Amino acid sequence: MGQVLALAISAVLLAGFYASMAYGLGLIYGVLRVVNLAHGGMIMASAYLSWVLFTRFNIDPYLAIPIVMVVFFVVGVAMYKGLVRFLPRGAAGGVQSLLLLFGVWLVIRNIAYLLFTGDDQAVRTSYSTASISIFGNSYSLNRVLVFVISLVAVAVLQLWLSRTYTGKAVRAVTENSGSSTLVGIDVERVYALTFGVGTALAGLAGVLASTLFAFNPSFGSGELLKSFVIIVLGGLGSVVGIAVGALVLSFAEIFAIYVVPSYLTAAVGFVLLVVVLVVRPSGLFGAKVLR
Amino acid sequence: MTTTAQSRRVRLPGWLSMRALIIFVVALVLLYLAPTVLGLGDYLHNIAGLTFMFMAAGLAWNWLGGYVGQISFGHAAMFGTGGFVAARLTISSGLPFWATWLIGGVVAGLYALLWGHPTLRLRGPYFSIATIGVGEATRLVATYWTDFTGGSSGLSLPIGNGPTKFQMYWYGLYLLAAVVVISYWLRRSRIGLGLLAIKEDVEAASDVGVNPTFYQDVVLFLSGTVVGVCGGFYASYQAFIDPLDMFSFERSISFVLIGVIGGIGTILGPAMGAVVYIVIQEFLLASYPQLYLGLYGLLLIFVILFEPLGLSGLLMRVGRRFGIRPSPSAAAGGMSSAAAVPDQPTASVGAGSTDTKDGPR
Repeated sequence: MGQVLALAISAVLLAGFYASMAYGLGLIYGVLRVVNLAHGGMIMASAYLSWVLFTRFNIDPYLAIPIVMVVFFVVGVAMYKGLVRFLPRGAAGGVQSLLLLFGVWLVIRNIAYLLFTGDDQAVRTSYSTASISIFGNSYSLNRVLVFVISLVAVAVLQLWLSRTYTGKAVRAVTENSGSSTLVGIDVERVYALTFGVGTALAGLAGVLASTLFAFNPSFGSGELLKSFVIIVLGGLGSVVGIAVGALVLSFAEIFAIYVVPSYLTAAVGFVLLVVVLVVRPSGLFGAKVLR
Repeated sequence: MTTTAQSRRVRLPGWLSMRALIIFVVALVLLYLAPTVLGLGDYLHNIAGLTFMFMAAGLAWNWLGGYVGQISFGHAAMFGTGGFVAARLTISSGLPFWATWLIGGVVAGLYALLWGHPTLRLRGPYFSIATIGVGEATRLVATYWTDFTGGSSGLSLPIGNGPTKFQMYWYGLYLLAAVVVISYWLRRSRIGLGLLAIKEDVEAASDVGVNPTFYQDVVLFLSGTVVGVCGGFYASYQAFIDPLDMFSFERSISFVLIGVIGGIGTILGPAMGAVVYIVIQEFLLASYPQLYLGLYGLLLIFVILFEPLGLSGLLMRVGRRFGIRPSPSAAAGGMSSAAAVPDQPTASVGAGSTDTKDGPR
């Protein structure tokens, strides 16, 4: 029983990170109807940025979060204005935006290989080995911090979407971009902003990942897949959906160690995806994601 | 789908004509005789054989990616499965090499059905991301399943009971010819029309009696089988395979690149794409291997931004310059044909009605 509780707490902690990771992908899809295949590449790039800031400039990864998020916001806006803007959206443009953003991912990976080689890197701070005790089990301090920061990020995002004028504009465009134009919302600006915010969230996820995992330039494909699984499980547009999706995935992954060898846990997300598609093709909440 | 013979002929793309058939046969004969007449060097000769294999694999990928519009980033899973089944059979049984390729291909096709049947309910980007998962999961299993794949040390094939590398040129050509024939047949048949209908609008297609699950399953099985046979071919060609190469993500994206560079949905496209791919691979990247991913990434970005139909689109543009107007449906297999052929009315089954409905907002 004690072991089950310990694993359950691990799963909850992991789910926090997963939620912040999936939110960026879900936000961009919800508003632009474009799946950002470069999402995983952005997470990887941001992990490296966090690593560079730490090793070269001695900036603690948690303090680096604002810097990284601003950088990635700008990158995201630039990517929208320079590339994504030219593509048709919706069903007709699905394949094109997919392949284009896939190309961007390959380029990011190549740049990372050139700059940092293929070796594994990790951010090791003085408190990397510190731990905290919860219900008699000890957990790494980093994992708890990542969980708390993820919760804060998701909450702030939700407040922004529901309370501010800009956030409401983003939601309006999600609902109906045509009518949004009629009521005076600059849809192009909302698109650029959303791509920026979504990419900034990938940046956040990358910094958090850099404190938890070792990474190399091919890091991120698993994160992309997991983000996607979470969105399919939980649906778009609600924090609850993302949270449930993240929890289901993290619990499945953590408790899978009872059933499958550890190297296969990476495949759990995919198996879960297939199972959900067979049992409930419309997602756990009958989400509109799958047309 | 009960069209008269007359209207069907009108709807069929131009390259399915008698003229195209003659060009195909002549090209085949020329390629068959080429090595004996021209006397290519050993290196070029062998590379040509490999190019045929990539053409075949690119075409098979294109059945799914171009005809149905389901982009797979996981075809290395079938390439590797076919390759390793063929290699294992070659090592442990006395079967002739072509039988091992075929069995490997069928096993790969069945494997494709196993994961594809549930995931093909997904459309577009969702299917594509799921295939990334398939590819990664398969690679993990293959790398750790040492009894089957030999793990990271790979498998060496016995030398002497298969065709020599020199003969592989002709086997590659046979493979390619068979795949081209299947490509034509797929496009001509009811299945081809059904696929275009599915690509346009799944719900409308199923309303008129096209069963999307069945049609897509058939195509995925065929595509997986051919890519599996290509894997077997590759195993015989290299005489050594290891799972890190056969199942790699890079292997999967090579099929995507061949299709996209050449022109998604066409038949000539992937063939041209394979030539470009091999040229870049063998002559450019041999000296700059560290630019592998970036170069292909940039190529993808440029193709999508400037010529979504790839080399085929470029050819059509050149043709128009000289007054040759392609039939409107020649581009029917493209990503969104109305965008690629803007001055053509969208008269064919496959042309982009989606663009008017769901285009730039």
